[in-house]
Amino acid sequence: MRGMELSLNHTQKLRLQRALESLESLSSGTNSNASVTVADSIPVNQEDGVLKGHGTTDLDGEVVATVCGVIERVNKLVYVRTLRARYKPEVGDIIVGRVLEVAPKRWRLEINFSQDAVLMLSSMNLPDGIQRRRTAVDELNMRSIFEENDVVSAEVRDFMRDGSLQLQARSQKYGKLERGQLLTISPYLVKRRKQHFHHLEKYGIDLILGCNGFIWVGEHVEVKDDMVEDEHTPTKPDAKSNKSQISQSLEEQEQTYTPLETRQYICRIANAIRVLSTLGFSITLDVILEILDLSTKNGIDIHEMLGAEFCVLVAEKEAERRSLSTRKKR
Amino acid sequence: MGSVKRKSVDEGPSNYTSPPHKQHKDNDNGLTETTEEGVACVHDVSYPENYVTVPRRSNTDQDSKPAKEFPFTLDPFQSEAINCLNVGESVMVSAHTSAGKTVVASYAIAMSLRNKQRVIYTSPIKALSNQKYREFKEEFSDVGLMTGDVTIEPNASCLVMTTEIWRSMQYKGSELTREVAWIIFDEVHYMRDRERGVVWEESIVMAPKNARFVFLSATVPNAKEFADWVAKVHQQPCHIVYTDYRPTPLQHYLFPTGGDGLYLVVDEKGKFREDSFQKALNALVPVNEKKDSGKFQKGLVNGRAGEDSDIFKMVKMIIQRQYDPVIIFSFSKRECEFLAMQMAKMDLNDDDEKVNTETIFWSAMDMLSDDDKKLPQVSNMLPLLKRGIGVHHSGLLPILKEVIEILFQEGLIKCLFATETFSIGLNMPAKTVVFSNVRKFDGDKFRWLSSGEYIQMSGRAGRRGIDDRGVCILMVDEKLEPSTAKMMVKGSADCLNSAFHLSYNMLLNQLRCEDGDPENLLRNSFYQFQADRAIPDLERQMKGLQEERDSIHIEEEDSLENYYSLLEQYKSLKKDVRDIIFSPRYCLPFLQPGRLVCVRCTSSDESTPTFSVEDHVTWGVIVNFQKVKSLSEDDVDKSPEDANYTVDVLTRCTVSKDELSKKTIKIIPLKEPGEPAVVSVPISQIDNLSSVRLIIAKDLLPLENRENTLKKVSEVLSRFSKQGIPLLDPEEDMKVQSGSYRKAVRRIEALENLFEKHEVAKSPLIEQKLKVLHKKKQITAQIKSIKKSMRSSSALAFKDELKARKRVLRRLGYVTRDDVVELKGKVACEISSADELVLTELMFNGVLKDIKIEEMVSLLSCFVWQEKLQDAQKPREELDMLFTQLQDTARRVAKVQLECKVEIDVEGFVSSFRPDIMEAVYSWAKGSKFYEIMEITQVFEGSLIRGIRRMEEILQQLILAAKSIGEVELEAKFEEAVSKIKRDIVFAASLYL
Repeated sequence: MRGMELSLNHTQKLRLQRALESLESLSSGTNSNASVTVADSIPVNQEDGVLKGHGTTDLDGEVVATVCGVIERVNKLVYVRTLRARYKPEVGDIIVGRVLEVAPKRWRLEINFSQDAVLMLSSMNLPDGIQRRRTAVDELNMRSIFEENDVVSAEVRDFMRDGSLQLQARSQKYGKLERGQLLTISPYLVKRRKQHFHHLEKYGIDLILGCNGFIWVGEHVEVKDDMVEDEHTPTKPDAKSNKSQISQSLEEQEQTYTPLETRQYICRIANAIRVLSTLGFSITLDVILEILDLSTKNGIDIHEMLGAEFCVLVAEKEAERRSLSTRKKR
Repeated sequence: MGSVKRKSVDEGPSNYTSPPHKQHKDNDNGLTETTEEGVACVHDVSYPENYVTVPRRSNTDQDSKPAKEFPFTLDPFQSEAINCLNVGESVMVSAHTSAGKTVVASYAIAMSLRNKQRVIYTSPIKALSNQKYREFKEEFSDVGLMTGDVTIEPNASCLVMTTEIWRSMQYKGSELTREVAWIIFDEVHYMRDRERGVVWEESIVMAPKNARFVFLSATVPNAKEFADWVAKVHQQPCHIVYTDYRPTPLQHYLFPTGGDGLYLVVDEKGKFREDSFQKALNALVPVNEKKDSGKFQKGLVNGRAGEDSDIFKMVKMIIQRQYDPVIIFSFSKRECEFLAMQMAKMDLNDDDEKVNTETIFWSAMDMLSDDDKKLPQVSNMLPLLKRGIGVHHSGLLPILKEVIEILFQEGLIKCLFATETFSIGLNMPAKTVVFSNVRKFDGDKFRWLSSGEYIQMSGRAGRRGIDDRGVCILMVDEKLEPSTAKMMVKGSADCLNSAFHLSYNMLLNQLRCEDGDPENLLRNSFYQFQADRAIPDLERQMKGLQEERDSIHIEEEDSLENYYSLLEQYKSLKKDVRDIIFSPRYCLPFLQPGRLVCVRCTSSDESTPTFSVEDHVTWGVIVNFQKVKSLSEDDVDKSPEDANYTVDVLTRCTVSKDELSKKTIKIIPLKEPGEPAVVSVPISQIDNLSSVRLIIAKDLLPLENRENTLKKVSEVLSRFSKQGIPLLDPEEDMKVQSGSYRKAVRRIEALENLFEKHEVAKSPLIEQKLKVLHKKKQITAQIKSIKKSMRSSSALAFKDELKARKRVLRRLGYVTRDDVVELKGKVACEISSADELVLTELMFNGVLKDIKIEEMVSLLSCFVWQEKLQDAQKPREELDMLFTQLQDTARRVAKVQLECKVEIDVEGFVSSFRPDIMEAVYSWAKGSKFYEIMEITQVFEGSLIRGIRRMEEILQQLILAAKSIGEVELEAKFEEAVSKIKRDIVFAASLYL
């Protein structure tokens, strides 16, 4: 049972089982025999050229899986999509990571990949928004942008020739994440979407569903238009600006007190995601909001959201939702 | 669009120190001062909407010292543009090729380097990038180069690259996009290029927000529009500096073929001389009379027997008058070479120069292998070059082309035969420019040279500082109107119009990144901007038309309208009936010679339709009929019944000649004065066939025979005047048996009854009233069509196509329903140098995996080769099989596109893949020498090399694609393919590097 550690009473156990069974019946047949474990051979028609993609290899003329997962086929290409493995980045993915180290001209980020990702200083927009080369001064000031343990959102840019992963922050909306929670869930639960940044206006919250299974729930931050900023703020000598930044940040701290309500919403959403993740349901904005509604409607306290009762409720709700949507399709 | 500032030149740079808002006040007066003739330039600024001018920080200490000093005094337009750069604002410089735009570019580079910023210089052509790289490298040293072929110092502060590379860097989010402060787009008028223009639009729209631009362009009349667009898209002011100024004035001459001299038609002051223009035309010996005028001038190439060819005479004259060096432009590679061959007898270099030429030539050729040195193109070129004659076109080996450019710049080539490509790029002027032809083949027909092309090419005439004037000579072989000539020689430059179009690669790249949105790109495109701009104009037109319509008042409009619609119905029914009867199936047996037919007269004015029930008809005699040959050969398999026929009819006509000696023949009623003539009319112009047949004279050439026949016709007519000429009855005589015919006839009868009863029919002024009504209807229709075009331009341009193309991507599995790019889409993202869909499909179908490397390379050659060869041999069987596979895939892709409502010509698309160089490339990949593969195929050396180089580009993209799907073997295969084709002369480095 997906490694759940909940103390369910008898009825809850039954209800949960029923819900999960109905879910299974809904999804049965799609990928029943397509899952493989390591060294399973993958049936292919060897006659016409097979393209062996990720997670496969050629062993004595047989195509063999090198990872556990689900076989996927695109025309003649065969590859294995892993389920509970580490995150496998693709160019263009939106990810959330945590800074491990400030290195020369780069930050090293933990992103749940098999190696650390690299965010070059040159792949970041400078705070002043001016188009220029990065100087030694910029390099010395790198800690004023991100420090160790900062949480950062970025985009996967490219794989270098040596296989290391490069990130980039295309615009101002990427960058340091503050005043919120970072959740780590299995990456397969996050499906690639057109949008991974979500602004929930109703609650004043930013939600970033990183493809690597790192999810950020935090207070909404208005993205500054760097263009306007550039037009209006004349650049000052570096030392001076540094000083003013420090004094500003003190003021800011007082101003930027996050209201209790927002903090409660952050927790609520975070818990909703936690519940979904323990149940192994894929996480999309719609589902999260639904669970959020469910919890408020039933008057469930934030801390109770991780309890057994709510977990069962969510499972039932999901079963109901999916059966509805499949019925609609038919 | 904000306010507009116009400022004249002589106010000088000092004005810039005053704060901008002060200038604003001046602007409102809308002053445009013209400055002294010749040197004048127009300076204009486009501000984005709601733009607040911010007082610039006054870093006077920097501004006081220019980033770069020039050893000569700058022209006004140059210093004007540089002032804009100094205040840190974008500028568009529009001037002639020779005017010295490079000064602005190099100042921008110097300034960026001084400010420790990065700068990008993009140009449309690889060769030009190479040349500019060398030029800047000498001056600034911190310069790198990136083209599809080479990458040198990609970390330099100043990067020279092709626009395509810059675009893909932006898609990939290279760090350059965060560091570049200035982007220089050279030859930005390339944006109107049908195929590649869209790359400029993409690059400009996607450029980083805080970057500034320098656009260098040939003279374009709508520079302001372009700047407005940039200002709007990037929310920053954009200056325009426009000048018509040429450092050396031009004289334009005509050289009539067969004639013996030059005639000055436009002098250096720009005055058109009608008298000498006429003289020139009179001197023209018409070649057309003796020879078929189909091919390009035979006289030019062959010369008349015993005499020298025109081109030889011309060059001789130029040399005698010391008008050399001269560039002779022609419009095809073959013609270029033909003309150069005519110069066999001429020697323009002395011995010293010969030695120099040879040294330069061989030191350049040194990098080639011995085998390659023996290539016919190489060995044939040297004797020509030694005599001071050169050829320059895209079919040459790149290295030869470069040697010739160098020799030309050194003054060792006195007479250069070039194609249009020589007119863009580096400054390589001559004293004289000759146009060997005034017409150019543009894919489907020979058309007059456009004034824009003329301007571009004549820009090569006149060397600054050496010649006091440049000479342009136009060789004419046919009469042309003074207005045509004037248009060509003195016309304005071509407008810069958007050639935006969608591609799948573009869509996928846009969809792939989170912020990207293809609609956004469309909304910001220059195309959309131009469309939006047209709206106010359309609105005005519509208002005018509406007023006109409302001003028309008609009495009894309702019943008149009723009558009108009856008439329309009647007419269309008649037409239906006629169409049935005169379908070739029924009427062909009756088109015998001698039959009397009723023919509709050619109405003198097509636009005023008649409103009577009676038609305007006359009678004639059939002489013959024939099938019209259709233009395309595909119609061969059409049944004879569907083909078109024309009928030769003898009837009375007026024949009038207009000035162009074109005959126009009008059919008129028999009684009016005119000549009897045989005209061929389409069947649709025949109204009725009578049952009467006359015996006509066998020979209708003599006038009296025709006159007599017509007399007979009149006689018959008068004989039957009472009961009317007996007509062939459709049902009884012609055996027309169709339900729709009978139905239509019945309805016509019913309508005829209605006409008689209709009250309005009796009113006296019915004709005029109907005409007025008709006009009103026409205006209404016009208004409707304007409304429609307004709606389509206010809506997002390409919206439907975007939808259709997305549908294609979904259908083929490149993106999901939520526009998330799938694996296949990611592969197609990487492929930008070939048709991304077909290549991706081929790859995913395993075609590339099975075959040998040489075969794969050979298959890829079909993606890069578009030229059609007349008698290319078919590739061997294995290759042909592969090609068929490719065609099948292409057809499938095209069909899916068609089903998704993308406009595409399936067969045309399939046949755009050419197998012509498959064999050659195959043996190249096998390791053959270049001269060996040149023996296999008939193509130009340069074209083949370009093709192979582009294939290498595709292979590099495929390597990335294979990597992204994790197929290691395929990746290795591509790598090996690259190493197999990348060798020897094909990838010989440019001399400029």
